[in-house]
Amino acid sequence: MRDAQRRYLSQRQSAWILLAPFLVTYALFLVYPFFRGIWISLHDWNLLAVAFNPDAMEFIGLRNYERVMWGRNIQWGFSAPLWQGLGVIGLALAVFLRRADRLSRFNAIALGVVSLLLVVLPGFHPGEGGRWYDRRFWPTVGNTLVFVGFTVPGVTIAALLLAAGLNRETRAMGILRTLFFLSQVLSVTVVTLIWQIMFSPRQGLIANITKTFGGTPINWLTDQQFAMAAIVIATIWWSLGIAMILFLAGLQDISKDIYEAAALDNARGARAFWFVTLPNLRRTITLVVVLQIILHFQVFGQSHLMTQGGPNDTTQVLVRYIYQTGFRDSELGRASAMAVFLFVIMGAFSIIQFVIGREKDE
Amino acid sequence: MNRGYYWLVIGLAVPAFIWLVPTLWMLSLSLQPNEVLARTTSSTAFGLLPIPFTTDNYAALFTFGQTPWWFLNSLIVSLGMTLGVLTVSTTAGYALARLEFPFKRAITVMCLIGLMVPEQAVFIPLYTMFADFGWHNSYHALILPRMAVPIGVFLMLQFFQAIPRDIEEAARLDGVGWLQIFWHVMLPLARPAMMTLAILTFLYAWNDYLWPLVSAQQREYFTITLGLASIQSNFAQSEGLGRVMASGVIASLPVVILFLIFQRYVVNAMTAGGSKG
Repeated sequence: MRDAQRRYLSQRQSAWILLAPFLVTYALFLVYPFFRGIWISLHDWNLLAVAFNPDAMEFIGLRNYERVMWGRNIQWGFSAPLWQGLGVIGLALAVFLRRADRLSRFNAIALGVVSLLLVVLPGFHPGEGGRWYDRRFWPTVGNTLVFVGFTVPGVTIAALLLAAGLNRETRAMGILRTLFFLSQVLSVTVVTLIWQIMFSPRQGLIANITKTFGGTPINWLTDQQFAMAAIVIATIWWSLGIAMILFLAGLQDISKDIYEAAALDNARGARAFWFVTLPNLRRTITLVVVLQIILHFQVFGQSHLMTQGGPNDTTQVLVRYIYQTGFRDSELGRASAMAVFLFVIMGAFSIIQFVIGREKDE
Repeated sequence: MNRGYYWLVIGLAVPAFIWLVPTLWMLSLSLQPNEVLARTTSSTAFGLLPIPFTTDNYAALFTFGQTPWWFLNSLIVSLGMTLGVLTVSTTAGYALARLEFPFKRAITVMCLIGLMVPEQAVFIPLYTMFADFGWHNSYHALILPRMAVPIGVFLMLQFFQAIPRDIEEAARLDGVGWLQIFWHVMLPLARPAMMTLAILTFLYAWNDYLWPLVSAQQREYFTITLGLASIQSNFAQSEGLGRVMASGVIASLPVVILFLIFQRYVVNAMTAGGSKG
């Protein structure tokens, strides 16, 4: 028996052999690039110059971050009353509702943090004779937030209603689910190909239908008012499926008894949805919202291919700006500083996601 | 089933059809002659029915142009990445789930942190790294970065943790080594989880856009997703609308077929991938 065992590796040796392939790729292609990205962001690093001469970069500390996010003579004040007022109201609401015990601690903190950011961030503005060093960065972040702000509620509400309707194990419902989910497996380039032509004022399906009913076709992708809407519509069409499936999974966990009890109190249909489904689905809704924020904050292809960030920069989004700064303007240092900014925001939401995921297990 | 149910089905069938229309339209346009499409895209039922009908666009795709070549590239890259991810994920997942060794907790936590790093935050340093190695415009450049993403390790780790320990212990008592247990006992048990992970990876690889865009500059190394992006900006003039749409259909075919056959796995995979990173 002992002789037989000796032929084999010990537990430790086996473990390291099994882990080696992953650890090597992980260290090489994720850990190292991550720190190298931070390193690049601290340099004046021109893609072409460094390619010809590896010593052509210059250490400049945090200056890239300053060039991207700061400006000359930046002041703080109540310069955006609409947003900042909204933030103040949100803060008051968070405190009030928490006192009245109408909000869970988690939601109160979330609302408070968002409101505080709304008060603080829009307040920065260039003073007399001052200007932002990079005029495009914050508007780009703003566009990304607008995109997220329309797409996430759109997907969440539509998916929630569909999931509530489709939550029955019959053949017809199965087919309908398949139809709603199908667009989710397409690649971003197929989605933009379809919707670019759908939205075309000359050849598009939408324009053709509008013309039949005597309307004038909208120039969706080149009109400042509609370009962002077009991208949001295409994205909702594309990414509804996964949210719907997550909601369906959440609905499965609500026991039938609760609905039967509610039916005795005459809560059926819409009332049951409002008083039984929604409260029981609260955690799933939060999870789906956070997931969607993470996913859609990284939007790139839709903007890059459908509108090229235009018209007049109205659909320019953060990842596309990073891509352009790095690979069109060859400013890898500045682009890396923006990428670090992106990572910080994504990291914050990942931590929230992780915390919510943990609650479920306990 | 009562009347309310039938009304519900009908009420949901209408939005479901609207949801299908854009895909249907792509398919229908790809089956109409380019000369007709240059004049109008709504010949029959707003162009949703392919009348007049032709398969010339598909024939043209396979005689001129690079679409078949890009399709092949996509297959190589996607299958390579799937194989790679399965290898590193099953081995590491098993070790972390079942074996005792120093720094186990530290490694697990380190991988968990890695889930937070989005591809978009590391593509610039990855680009410079691969440029230093002279690796761009190659299959391994397209495959390797994704093998480092720890999501697969976590899926496999959770799966192996759920397997009862008795199975292993029986084999241990017979004096079988850990690697042999992994290979002969655990891997066969892990087939459903591996299937889910394989589909998740394949879909990701097939549809990935940003990294191929940065890494593959030569058209010979384009994946179909990237190739499709490169022809859609000037579609109508150069290639004809029908042919571009045919390329779109070809690019979607593998993932749609995969989805229709393995629907349950695909849904599992996307839910797992979605809710964990």
